[in-house]
Amino acid sequence: MLVYLRIFRYNPEAGRNKPTFDTYNIQADPDDRVLDLLEHVKSYVDGSLSYRRSCAHGVCGSDAMRINGQNALACKVLVKDVGREITVEPLLGLPVLKDMIVDMEPFFASYRKVMPFMVNDDIPEDGRERLQSPEERARFDDTTKCILCAACTTSCPSFWADDEYVGPAAIVNAHRFIFDSRDHAGDERLNILNDREGAFGCRTAFNCTSACPREIHVTRAIAEVKQAIVA
Amino acid sequence: MTQKVQKTYESVAWKWMRYSGILLIPLAWIHVLIQDVIVGVHAIDIDYVALRWANIGWQAYDFFLLAFTFAHGMNGLRQVLFDFVHGERARKAWSVALFIFWLLVSIIGTIALVKGARPELA
Repeated sequence: MLVYLRIFRYNPEAGRNKPTFDTYNIQADPDDRVLDLLEHVKSYVDGSLSYRRSCAHGVCGSDAMRINGQNALACKVLVKDVGREITVEPLLGLPVLKDMIVDMEPFFASYRKVMPFMVNDDIPEDGRERLQSPEERARFDDTTKCILCAACTTSCPSFWADDEYVGPAAIVNAHRFIFDSRDHAGDERLNILNDREGAFGCRTAFNCTSACPREIHVTRAIAEVKQAIVA
Repeated sequence: MTQKVQKTYESVAWKWMRYSGILLIPLAWIHVLIQDVIVGVHAIDIDYVALRWANIGWQAYDFFLLAFTFAHGMNGLRQVLFDFVHGERARKAWSVALFIFWLLVSIIGTIALVKGARPELA
């Protein structure tokens, strides 16, 4: 099938100071991924096209971008699912550096803010490992699936309106430790998120839940964090 | 590492929005059903309001309606405004202005409710 592909282009270093769209007609298979189309353009048409990609199998989370207006991983979206006219743009809400590459630093700064690591200085009972029941593990299973692609945070209208809001991804990663029975810094994280720029910046728009390529129930996780704060 | 979760203005406001939102469902719907459907807006005049507010039950009902709807709405407006107002000082100024507005309207509404539309009926 013939696909009409529009790609966002911006490269101030090469004199493309204003965002524009390049268009291509590409012969594609319905089962091709959008990433395959970008790879085709970069390999055979214009080598200057820039985007992040690493594993190309929906695990590393580096190729999150807007495809026909919706945040997704280019390596997980098939041509047959988005149609013959495809528009590819960078994520919203983060500064665009070049083409589809955005500055992820504000995103990771918010991520670091919530202490996304296990805090437990006690020595395990058997001296080797901290045991956990299947039920205790299941409590935070959903939020362990996050791959930090930023699709949720950059789909969030609260984040677009307020750079200081930590965003859904940071709260999801706080949730992963807050509800982990082995962790000891849950209240510290809840205090960090107990703010307008923390969990209460969420207005339950549910964009994050639709955008998550890992199908994490993001809005529910945020609601659980809010409930833990006021409990 | 253990510490308690502090109460903040935002956490209290969040709780308030939930509780007042739940209460608004019966309060607002019963109000709309009576005033707009059963009685009808064209049948509402000063005498109707005076009779209604001469009853302590309706006074209390309207007081709760005023207290919950208006505070709920003002806090919602504050949240929306903060999407557009980013400076800490500007946010504080807006919060104070909204609080004064809320207080004034609530006081005027409460005085009207307590004194009634026709005080001689009380």
